[in-house]
Amino acid sequence: MSKVQAFYHKHRTILLLAVFAALCVLPFVVTKALFVRYACNILLFATLAGSLNAINGYSGQMCLGQAGFFAIGAYVCAIFSTRFGVNFWLLLPISGVFAAMVGLLVALPTLKLQGIYLSIVTLGASEIIRIIAQTWEPVTGGALGIKNIPYPWLFGLDTFRPKYYYFIFLLIGVLFLLVTNRVLKSRVGRAWISIREDQIAAKSLGVQTSFYKSLNFMYGAFWAGVVGCAYAPFVNYIEASQFSTDTGFNVLAMIVIGGQGTLLGPILGSMIVTVLTESLRFLDNWRYVIYAVIIIMMMWLRPQGIAGASHSVLAGGKIKRKPVRREGARSHG
Amino acid sequence: MEYLLNQLVNGICQGSIYALMAIGYSVIVGVVGMVTFTYGEIMMIGAFGAFYSFQFFGNNLALAIVMAFASSFLLGIVVYKVCYERFFNAPRHIALLCTIGFSMLMKNLVQIVFGPEQKPMINIINNATYTLRLGSVAVDFKLLQIVVMLLVILFAVSLTLFFNRTRWGVALRAVSQNKQAAYMMGINVKRTAMLGNCIGCGFGGIAGILLSIYYYTVSSTIWGNFSMKAFSASVLGGLVDLRLSALGGLCMGIIENLGITISSATFRDVFSFAFLIVILVIRPQGFAAKKGSRV
Amino acid sequence: MAEQTLTRVPLLEAQGICKYFGGLKAVDHVDMTICQGDIFGIIGPNGAGKTTFFNICTGIFTPTQGRIFFCGEDITAMSPEAVAQKRIARTFQNLQLFKFMTVLENVKIGCHIKTKSNMFDAILHTPTFKRDEAFTTEKSLEILKRIGLFDFRDTLAGNLSYGMQRKVEIARALALDPKILLLDEPAAGMNPLETKALMEFIQALNADGYTIAVIEHDMKFVMNSCNRILVLNFGQKILEGTPAEVKTNPEVQSAYFGKGMVAGEAIR
Repeated sequence: MSKVQAFYHKHRTILLLAVFAALCVLPFVVTKALFVRYACNILLFATLAGSLNAINGYSGQMCLGQAGFFAIGAYVCAIFSTRFGVNFWLLLPISGVFAAMVGLLVALPTLKLQGIYLSIVTLGASEIIRIIAQTWEPVTGGALGIKNIPYPWLFGLDTFRPKYYYFIFLLIGVLFLLVTNRVLKSRVGRAWISIREDQIAAKSLGVQTSFYKSLNFMYGAFWAGVVGCAYAPFVNYIEASQFSTDTGFNVLAMIVIGGQGTLLGPILGSMIVTVLTESLRFLDNWRYVIYAVIIIMMMWLRPQGIAGASHSVLAGGKIKRKPVRREGARSHG
Repeated sequence: MEYLLNQLVNGICQGSIYALMAIGYSVIVGVVGMVTFTYGEIMMIGAFGAFYSFQFFGNNLALAIVMAFASSFLLGIVVYKVCYERFFNAPRHIALLCTIGFSMLMKNLVQIVFGPEQKPMINIINNATYTLRLGSVAVDFKLLQIVVMLLVILFAVSLTLFFNRTRWGVALRAVSQNKQAAYMMGINVKRTAMLGNCIGCGFGGIAGILLSIYYYTVSSTIWGNFSMKAFSASVLGGLVDLRLSALGGLCMGIIENLGITISSATFRDVFSFAFLIVILVIRPQGFAAKKGSRV
Repeated sequence: MAEQTLTRVPLLEAQGICKYFGGLKAVDHVDMTICQGDIFGIIGPNGAGKTTFFNICTGIFTPTQGRIFFCGEDITAMSPEAVAQKRIARTFQNLQLFKFMTVLENVKIGCHIKTKSNMFDAILHTPTFKRDEAFTTEKSLEILKRIGLFDFRDTLAGNLSYGMQRKVEIARALALDPKILLLDEPAAGMNPLETKALMEFIQALNADGYTIAVIEHDMKFVMNSCNRILVLNFGQKILEGTPAEVKTNPEVQSAYFGKGMVAGEAIR
C-alpha cells in the first residue's frame, strides 16, 4: 500500500493528467450509448457524493438531506431554462447559489444542535423541499414535473447525446475536485477539519465554529445545486419523486462505501454503487437487498470506507499506535 | 368550527398512535443509547404480522396485536445484533448508517416476499359513528377511533407499570440512565439493551397494526415517513422521556390534522417536519426541562 | 523566581466568580488577579473547581455570578472563540487534540486567528492566501522547533506519546501568540524527566515574556516555578499569595494535605 502511495506522490501530476486524458477519450472508445450513460451517471453521482462528503467527511456534520439541495438545483435549472430561456452555463452558478441559500436556511437553526438532531433536520428539510416540489403546481409542475428542459450549448455539439453531455459532467467533476482540493488545503479547510476532530478545542483556538459550519454547509449545498442543475437537462424531465430521501440515502451510501473524508472515496463509491445497481438490474429488487447488505458489511468490517485510511475520527476513532498506552481516542460526537 | 373540531378529534386519535410510536422509539433510544432509522420497517413488520394473523387465524384483534408485537419483537433481536451490538464504543454515525442499511434491506425484502402492492386491511371494527352534540356543534367519533385511543392508553399504562414495578423494568431504566453504573451493579447491560430494543420494537409493531387498521391498508412502502415522525415526536419529548414523547406524538398528530384543514392533505408531512424544526430552533431539548445530551 | 512587586499590571482578573451546577457550588466567590509576567499556579485537591474555573475564564462556561476582566475588558459573557481572539490560549486537562491531523496541522490551526484568507482566496490562490500560508507554515515550524517536535511534524498527533501530545497542545496554544497561556495540568501523564523538561520550558517561556497560569498537582513544580499561587478547595478560595505564604498557611495545609500531616514534608 505504502509503495503505491509513494509512487503516486512521486508522479502525481502525470498520473492525474493521464487519468484525465483517459476520461476524455472514454466516450469515443466506448461506443455503446448505454455505457456512456452509465459513465455520465457515475460522474454525476461522484460529484454529488463529493458535495455531501464535503459536509459529512470534513466538518463532521451528519447531513442526510443532500437530495433536497440536489432538487433545488435541478428545479432552478428546469424552471429558469423552460420559462425564461436562461442560458445553462449561467444557470450553473445560479442554481448553486440558490441551493447554498437554502443550505444556509437549514444550517442556521441547526448550528446549536448536535449530531443526530442536525441529521434529522436536514432529512426533514429535504422531505419538505420534495413535498413542496410535488405540490406547488404553478411553479414546479406538481406531480407532472417539468418536461423538455433544453439541452445546453457545448461548442455546437449535440448534447442530447450522452457521448457529449458526458463532458459537461466531466468538467463539473474536475472543477469540483480542483476547487475542493484547494479549499481543503487552506485555512478554511483546516478549520472544518478541526471542527470535525474536536469542536471545543477548535473554539478554544479562535475558530468561529458556527460560521465555519454554516460555510461548510453552504459549500456542500452549492455543489449539490450545481450538480442538480447539470442533471436536469441530462434527463430532460424532472419530477419530485426523483429527489426522495432514498436518493439522499443512496448518495450517503456512496460516501460510506467509498470512504468519507477523502476526495477519492466518493468517486469510488459512486462507481461501485452505479455499476452494482446497473449491472444487477436483472435481479430487480434483489439488487437493493445486495446493496443494503454491502452497506451493513461495510459498517461491520471497514467503517472508514474503501478509500478511507484510519486517518479520521470517522474511521471509528481507533488509531494504531505502537506504544501500549492507549487513551480513548474518541470524538465527542 | 364543526369541521375544525372533527379534525381535532382525528388529530387526537392519530396523535395517540404517534404517541405509541414515540414511546417505543424513546425506549429504544433510551436503553440502547443510539437512534434508529429502521423503526418504520419494524412497524411495517408488525402490520404485516397482524395482516397475516387476520388472514390465517380469523378476525381476532387481540391475537393480531400479539402477533404484531411478537413479530416486531423478534425483528428487534435481529436489528440489535446487526446494528447495535458491535457499535457501542464506535462513533454514533456508524450504527446510524447501519440502521439505514438495514431499513433498505427490510423494505426490499418485504417487497420481494409480500409483493409491492398495497393490501387492504380487514375492517376489524365496524364503522359505527357516535355523535356528540355540544350545543349547536356536532362532533363525530368513530368507534374505530375510540378503540384505537383506548388501546394506546392501555399499552402506555402497561408499559409504565412494567418499567416501574418489575425487576426487568428497573434494570432497563438503570441501563438507560447509566450503562457503566448498571454494569457495576451486575446488570447484564448488553442483554438488557437488547430487551429494551425489542420492547421498543414491539411497541412499534403495535403502532404499525393500529396505523394500518386506521388507514385500512398495509403496504410496504410508506413507512419511512412514520419512522421520521416517531423520531420527531420523541425529539419533542427530549428523546428519552416516555411521557413527554407521548405528549410530543399527540401534539404532532393534532398539528398535522389542523394543518391540513387550512391547506391540503398533501402538506401533512410538511407540517409535522416544520413543527419539529421550529421546536428544535426554539427549544432544542423539546418539552423536557433539561438538555439531554446523552444521545 | 524573584518577587516582582514593583510594576504589577493586572492582566486577567476574576471578581466574585460563582458557578453552580444545580445545587453543586463548583466555584464559589473566587477572586483572582494574574499580572503581566506571572507564572500563576492554581492548586487544590481533586474536585476543587480548578478546571471549571479555567473553563469560565476561557468562555466555555458562563459564570452564575461575577465578572472576568482581561486587560480591563469585560470578557465574562464572551464565547470561547471570542476569548481566543483576545489572545487567551489554553490547553486541556484531558487532551483535546486533533488526533487525526498531523502535528504541523494542529499547530497551523492555532494560527487561525492571525490570518484572514477566506475561501475565495483559497480557490484563486490570491496573494493574501499565499502570504497567509507562508506565514502559517513558517510560524508553525518555528514553534515546533522551539518545543522540540520538529522531527514529528508529519506524524499524526494521536500517534505520539502522552507527554508529547501535551507538548503539541502547548505548541498549538503558543501559535495564538497568547498574551496569557492557561495550562491545565500540563505535566499529567509525563514521567519525571519530561516533567522537569516541561518545567524548564515553561520558565523559559515566561522569561520570554509570556504570562502563564497553570493548574498542576506536582508540588515541586508549583512551588519552584510559580510566583503567585491560588489555592482552591471545594470551589472556594483559600488563599492567593506567594509560594512562601502558601507553604506556611495552616488552612492550606489542613485543606490540601489533610490535618495531622507534618507540614512542609510534602512540599519540599
